[in-house]
Amino acid sequence: MTDPSSNDVHLIAADSAEQTITDSIDDTPLNQRSELLRGVTTALPMTLGFIPFALVLGAQAVQQGFTVLQVPLMTGVNFAGGSEFTAISLWTSPPHLLLIVAMTFLVNSRHIIMGAALVPFMRHLSKKQSLPLLFFMCDEAWAMGITDCQKRNTMRLSVPFYLGVAACLYSSWVIFTGIGAAVGPLIGDVEQYGFDMAFTAVFLVLLKGMWRGVSRCWPWLVSLVVAGVLYHLLPGAWYVAGGTLAGIIAALIWGKH
Amino acid sequence: MTFDQPLMASIEQLFTQHMAVLTIIAMGLTTYLTRIIGYLALRKRRLNPRVERVMEVVPGCVLIAVIAPVIFSGRFSDMLAVAITLLATLRLSLLPTVIIAIVSTGLLRYWLG
Repeated sequence: MTDPSSNDVHLIAADSAEQTITDSIDDTPLNQRSELLRGVTTALPMTLGFIPFALVLGAQAVQQGFTVLQVPLMTGVNFAGGSEFTAISLWTSPPHLLLIVAMTFLVNSRHIIMGAALVPFMRHLSKKQSLPLLFFMCDEAWAMGITDCQKRNTMRLSVPFYLGVAACLYSSWVIFTGIGAAVGPLIGDVEQYGFDMAFTAVFLVLLKGMWRGVSRCWPWLVSLVVAGVLYHLLPGAWYVAGGTLAGIIAALIWGKH
Repeated sequence: MTFDQPLMASIEQLFTQHMAVLTIIAMGLTTYLTRIIGYLALRKRRLNPRVERVMEVVPGCVLIAVIAPVIFSGRFSDMLAVAITLLATLRLSLLPTVIIAIVSTGLLRYWLG
């Protein structure tokens, strides 16, 4: 593990001296192009998994009143699937901006922890280099970046590897959500055939990925029940905010025990 | 004073589209903020582990609240389809799960209404 203060000294010190020290920590000096390529090939199977999500998202978005161009705009600017599915389910025309921003923040609040966990692997990068890289920090890019560092037994994130992973995931997400939006209307009313359940299925798969056992995820049950009750009592989409808050409050109050 | 109906409709349309784009950009900024907050904060200090544990659970709370109306819809065919989908989730990957969800929902609605 590199000490951050000594790392700063290395940056100022002679390049050759720094090179020998870091070489003893990293296994090999990294070739930019092969690292980029390694990122792309590592991310390819994951990219295939993205495609059905993306197509469903695009088709659902258009059903809810998005124009075809607004779909890749959203997925390109936002690039976080969970919050995009949530926004679509809450979408009205015109959309309720504050509600959607609040839910986007809540769904993506896990990024705060992920970004914090990435800090030790980015000590060799300046703030100016790190901030653009963080734009692409989705669950998969984050996990692959850290796993790769652990495999190579280093605390230095390979930037071209990470960019290769990010390029693969980002481009496939934007392109296939766009395709979903364009071809979705050809299928017709998705509700009629049960296509709307695809949305629930995707969420259940996402939840399965986040599952950490009853002892940690029991507040989900609070959210589920409260949201279910509020849905039948209140108009509009407030059951989402109400159910979410109930789960958070429950976790805050009883979280210690 | 009377208003031109098509004009009013097109103004409303314009407003809706502007709000849509504005909402999308606000979403993007919000998400980027969540991606950099942790990095910016932890360059100096670390998060309270209790807050960290609560935050871990938040995304799941949101997602499950979103699908709660489907789970508690009261429509027998849909609730049965959710149960089948949940079983599929436990055993299968995304694509087969989605296909089973769609097919079972479509068939159950056809048979049971």
